[in-house]
Amino acid sequence: MTTHESESTGFLYPFIESEETDAGSLLDDLAASARGKAAESARLQRESLDEYAPGLAAAGIAMAERFLRGGRLYTLGNGGSSTDAATLATLFSRPARGRPVAAWSLAADEAVVTALGNDVGFELIFKRQIIAHARDRDVAIALSTSGNSEDLMTAITEANQRGLLTIGFSGHDGGRMAAAEDLDFCFTVHSQSIHRIQESHAMLGYRLWSVTQEHMAHSREAS
Amino acid sequence: MTIAAQPGGSVVDMGLSADLAAAALDLARRFHDGATLWVMSPQWEPHAHHVAVEFVHPVIMGKRALPSVALVEPDPVAQVRVATSPGDLLLAVASANEPAVVDAMRRTPAWGVLTLWIGSGPRPPAGAANHILWIDSDDPMVPATGKFVLMYHLLWELTHVCFEHPGLLKPTDEETVCVTCSDEGRLGEIVLEPADVAGQALVRTAKGEEWVDTTILGDVRINDLVLVHAGAAITRLDDTWEEANQ
Repeated sequence: MTTHESESTGFLYPFIESEETDAGSLLDDLAASARGKAAESARLQRESLDEYAPGLAAAGIAMAERFLRGGRLYTLGNGGSSTDAATLATLFSRPARGRPVAAWSLAADEAVVTALGNDVGFELIFKRQIIAHARDRDVAIALSTSGNSEDLMTAITEANQRGLLTIGFSGHDGGRMAAAEDLDFCFTVHSQSIHRIQESHAMLGYRLWSVTQEHMAHSREAS
Repeated sequence: MTIAAQPGGSVVDMGLSADLAAAALDLARRFHDGATLWVMSPQWEPHAHHVAVEFVHPVIMGKRALPSVALVEPDPVAQVRVATSPGDLLLAVASANEPAVVDAMRRTPAWGVLTLWIGSGPRPPAGAANHILWIDSDDPMVPATGKFVLMYHLLWELTHVCFEHPGLLKPTDEETVCVTCSDEGRLGEIVLEPADVAGQALVRTAKGEEWVDTTILGDVRINDLVLVHAGAAITRLDDTWEEANQ
């Protein structure tokens, strides 16, 4: 959440004008900026889905097979990514259509997170929950725009050792996640903007959910 | 059907981009005056949390931290009522028929709160919020595809651009109404019921709290919405009124 973003719009507005009174041109600039950023967001979503289509299909099928064996999904993230992790967990557990499966965000319970952060250290807030909850048929998805968050990496290593399916959503150059052997799948969104990366993470998660639903709906005839 | 949940083109067209721009300028003006941004999303609480963390802890270093709080208790209307002060901001991320948001939005004129409403599907009625930022799609999966995240990311980004234009953050012309000669009617919410037959109730309006004569209405209850005119509550606004105006 603290990484410098090079896509700042500040350069567009070098004239700091305390006497400025007509908002019309500013509103025009803002609207144009909104359209430009939204177009870039949509482009990045399309590009990410295209790049990772085979991996997303394989990961979604692997997830579905685990759900059919009673597996459940844990999602992990910090800051804004923790909220996106929660949205993703809710998509699986309370979808507007389709079949719900057990899923929750490991940042959701402030009693657990603050207890672990205070007693054993922030970098262990997720790992210790994996130790407590995980069975070998479960799935863990970690979301990080940098791919470097220590609390996620230690949890992924633990999850991998316990036989979980491990999936990472990363950004920028992929960071530590891109090189981690503990991840069964790593999807890196190639952008320097944390905002645009998060918007693509949501779409990648939605695609994973779609593949999972599709496979669970047809598992009977397939098996 | 629609393709909004699919990776297609941008959802931000000319109309929505203009709505976002106007909303961002209002946000920046209110923040400049000391407002707090309260956020509710009863159907998708993580969106409320994401907005709050976006403003409180910006992803771009050097951008100022702004006060924003997610309200996610089981009764968000009660939570917004006690949290807000006149001049504050309320952002809802919700569908148009979410009961708690509909109820909160109709009360905000009595609380003096400027409102924004992000959602998709059928639109809220015009005027239901000061800024309605809407994705016209009937796909129920839209909230999980990053489209709402995009919307509040853009709001945050545009709001910070506005801070680079301090000349435009000064108060605009306030609407002035002469109380003695106009037909002014202000929305108020009952804070304390009348203690006796004199019928003086404590009422919250956008200007603060005041004692108001409620004898015309008879029985009033805490949290009833009333129209206040020249020191008296002259009409009660109930759900029937609400439905008739939709």
